[in-house]
Amino acid sequence: MNPNDLDRAQILACVNMPVSEGLLAEMLEECIKELCKAAQPRTIYRVLPVEHTKNGVRLGGLPLLGKDIALHLSGCREAVLLGATLSASVDALIRRSSVADMTKMIMYNGIANAAIEHVCNALEAEIKAKYPYPYYTERFSAGYGDFPLTQQGELVGLLDAARKIGLTVTPSQMLLPMKSVTAIMGMSHEPVKDARRICYAGSCEECPYHDDCKIRK
Amino acid sequence: MDFRTLLLHEFVFLDGGMGTMLHLKPGELPERLNLTEPERVAAVHRAYAEAGSQIVYTNTFGANPLKLAGTGVDAAESITAAVKLAKAAVGEQVCVALDIGPTGQLLPPAGQMTFEAAYDSFRVMCEAGAKAGADLIVIETMSDLLETKAALLAAKESTTLPVLVTMTFTENGRTFTGCPISAAAMTLEGLGAAAIGINCSLGPKEILPMMQEMSGWTGLPLIAKANAGLPDPVTGEYYLTPEDFAAYMPQFAECGVQFFGGCCGSTPDFIRAVREKLKYLRRGRRNTQKPAAVCSGTRTVLLDMPRIIGERINPTGKKRMKQALLDHDFDYLRGEAISQTDAGADILDVNVGTPGIDEAKVLPEAVQAILEVTDLPLQLDSSDPAALEAALRIYPGKPIVNSVNGKAESLETVLPLVKHYGAAIVGLTLDENGIPTSAAERFAIGKRILDRAQALGIPKEDVFLDCLTLTASTGENGPVETLHAVRRVHEELGLQTVLGVSNISFGLPNRPLINRNFLCMALQNGLTLPIMNPMAEGMTDTVRAFRMLAGFDPNCENFIAAYQDSGNAPAAPAPKNENLTLESAVIRGLRQDAARLTQEALKDHAALDIVNEMLIPALDTVGADYESGKVFLPQLIQAATAAQSAFGVIKQNMAAQDGGSADKGKIVLATVQGDVHDIGKNIVRLLLENYGYDVIDLGKDVPPQKIVDAAIEHQVSLVGLSALMTTTVGAMEETIKLLHQQYPACKTVVGGAVLTADYAEKIRADCYAKDAKATVDYAKTIFGE
Repeated sequence: MNPNDLDRAQILACVNMPVSEGLLAEMLEECIKELCKAAQPRTIYRVLPVEHTKNGVRLGGLPLLGKDIALHLSGCREAVLLGATLSASVDALIRRSSVADMTKMIMYNGIANAAIEHVCNALEAEIKAKYPYPYYTERFSAGYGDFPLTQQGELVGLLDAARKIGLTVTPSQMLLPMKSVTAIMGMSHEPVKDARRICYAGSCEECPYHDDCKIRK
Repeated sequence: MDFRTLLLHEFVFLDGGMGTMLHLKPGELPERLNLTEPERVAAVHRAYAEAGSQIVYTNTFGANPLKLAGTGVDAAESITAAVKLAKAAVGEQVCVALDIGPTGQLLPPAGQMTFEAAYDSFRVMCEAGAKAGADLIVIETMSDLLETKAALLAAKESTTLPVLVTMTFTENGRTFTGCPISAAAMTLEGLGAAAIGINCSLGPKEILPMMQEMSGWTGLPLIAKANAGLPDPVTGEYYLTPEDFAAYMPQFAECGVQFFGGCCGSTPDFIRAVREKLKYLRRGRRNTQKPAAVCSGTRTVLLDMPRIIGERINPTGKKRMKQALLDHDFDYLRGEAISQTDAGADILDVNVGTPGIDEAKVLPEAVQAILEVTDLPLQLDSSDPAALEAALRIYPGKPIVNSVNGKAESLETVLPLVKHYGAAIVGLTLDENGIPTSAAERFAIGKRILDRAQALGIPKEDVFLDCLTLTASTGENGPVETLHAVRRVHEELGLQTVLGVSNISFGLPNRPLINRNFLCMALQNGLTLPIMNPMAEGMTDTVRAFRMLAGFDPNCENFIAAYQDSGNAPAAPAPKNENLTLESAVIRGLRQDAARLTQEALKDHAALDIVNEMLIPALDTVGADYESGKVFLPQLIQAATAAQSAFGVIKQNMAAQDGGSADKGKIVLATVQGDVHDIGKNIVRLLLENYGYDVIDLGKDVPPQKIVDAAIEHQVSLVGLSALMTTTVGAMEETIKLLHQQYPACKTVVGGAVLTADYAEKIRADCYAKDAKATVDYAKTIFGE
């Protein structure tokens, strides 16, 4: 990854640092360089058919649970399922820093959140350039609204992401490597008026909009 | 046909993609088809046999009990059906290989699945496959070296079948978990695979250079099973035609590949085309001289020049390390691992032998903890064969075992372990008669150890000899005899040589001076693996300078890289602020100053007074500034780590004085079962430790009973639990319930992104802490200020 591609303001928000000067800012720049060196971002996506049924919505044959995802894809006949990871080496960097230097640990953690967001944005732009739909809904992930996190494994399975990009799921439905994302975007010829508002890709705790967010868990 | 007969063929043809041929409908589980639609699977096998495949893989890639859990398909039943239908489909002339794929979960350090769980799941598969009559076992598409090892050991230990292993690499020459080709090759060969290779992930063009690299790292037959090119990102279709694919195969043959097949996107036509292409060709000659090397799961260290083995993780003569082991304080071990890695160690010795420690239990735990923070290969150091075996099992890669000696009992117990697990071994040149004084006698014992190792099939390059450093003060010829023995072993036997360098100066003044000089003399006499403290002044420098002067450092590149910033213009020492107090050093987050000022303060203050009167008031100031928004999390953590370095000095001081404690009370901390996010928990630990609490950090993904057991064992008054995800707060509730049943006197404090005060109350936690500071505040109410 190129350190210059990352949005400094977003990183500062993720790390919870108000200003970008002084010794801590120098340390942050070092950490950005190290993290970008370690990261091996990998992405995968599939464009899948969406079926709306009485019981909810199905994506590529997989029933998706909850009202929110059904509303998010309302009117869409296709949707894109994407997966992205910064790779196990970023987890290793964070793990190591949790022993060696906790300040770096929280910096790496915040930078990684900004970096995976950047990777997803780039992938989203790539997908949008390739498919001529005028409207896309935002990236919606398992765990948002009432779309249960327990479907994470099925989404990863649908992408064959373990084999294709090394993205796995633990029995408790957590993504490993940790700095990874799966998400669904509806594709539509009309604006999707019921599309859900999307929150930040990292955890609520680390989200820059933590304080004034209406859907914070 | 028998697999051994097949091995006599110039080329052996495998099959191609199974999923490609089954044309699965959405949601269809391939392993179920073995039971429900056997003919559909059999047709694929027949098509490959007709195309000339001599080995077909059963439709059992995902038939792992862990993967099939909840699908209603029994792994053993699916496997039994799969093997039988394959045998019936292809007849006697084609071998049937039980196909084993990854579990889909990661093992440590990247993941949480235990080695035993992975091993057991693979054993179920191997036993079912062997019983149903499979001719061999194939482990394929592996990414995690430790998981691959679990599968290979399960196959070797529960069946007598030959085992083929292929891993999947990305374009940077590493697997998704970071395993390099060299580490895969040397580890799998050491563990007794019959053939190894590469499959999936990429097309033949991308895999070819990796195959060439692998060929240089192993003497085993090689397997290539590439995808039909790279998939189209839009359609998911693979673009190579059978002829395009086959066109690359002569180059694979040229680098010595014997087993040919295809992976995703390939069909029987691919196998036909490959057979046709190779019809008149022969395999290229292989270089039989493998490089001497050891590895972890993510790093290979070539033994082509003197390499430093860091000696710090060893309790002998180190009170602080001893205490850490007794307290199960693995963070101290992790810290030592990081310091040595940063100081230039190439390999780390790990020894946990001290009274009161069950080595067979603790050594593997320590190894796992250390591998979380370093990728250096390890040297497993114990005189207890059970401990060595326990650590050898869960070590991802090829470690060094330290040690065997010339005694009959040692040779009989240790060498078979080394062979079984494919490790390298350090042989100590002593026997039943003790340590011989002369070089000639030590050389003779060393030779005997080498012969015994080779007789067991341990390759010569994996036998290292330690000619033993005796203290210089015990006799003036001691050092010379040692050096002489080193020289003979190096020159006459051509082996790696090991010495514990600093023994030389024991009992003498100015030990660093003696150590440095002896190190230099030993290197000049052929020492290749000094066991030493890489942080000790001048030691690593000596090795670096030696490498450069002895021609191991082309263009002095590494030497210059290590010293270019410090060479001619030594960095001006940071201006010493005479007015800096310990309090202000902590508040400003100045770690080194905090440590130095603590050291000074200990001269005329009691440890407890330093904690209560200097450190805690400083932390309170920072904490209050944080709460009022004057400082932010990074500054708070900077201050906390500065305080931690002060605590480190205090602990060191107390360990040296054998006793006393500045602790205000014990707290058990854990991230609950199923949860792997521990950043929040780590911050809480740091702050609690800052305030003088003794934190027993059980880590992440901790089962409820383990947390309760620890609380009872340590008689703590407070347990802190963290959970980040909605899927794991259930485990938090379960833990609190168990705690209430078994240890009701204990209070609980909970935190994590998805928790709220209401929810905390619902699961009957005593306190909800919104952040680390709130946890400290609650601890104060439990233990008093």
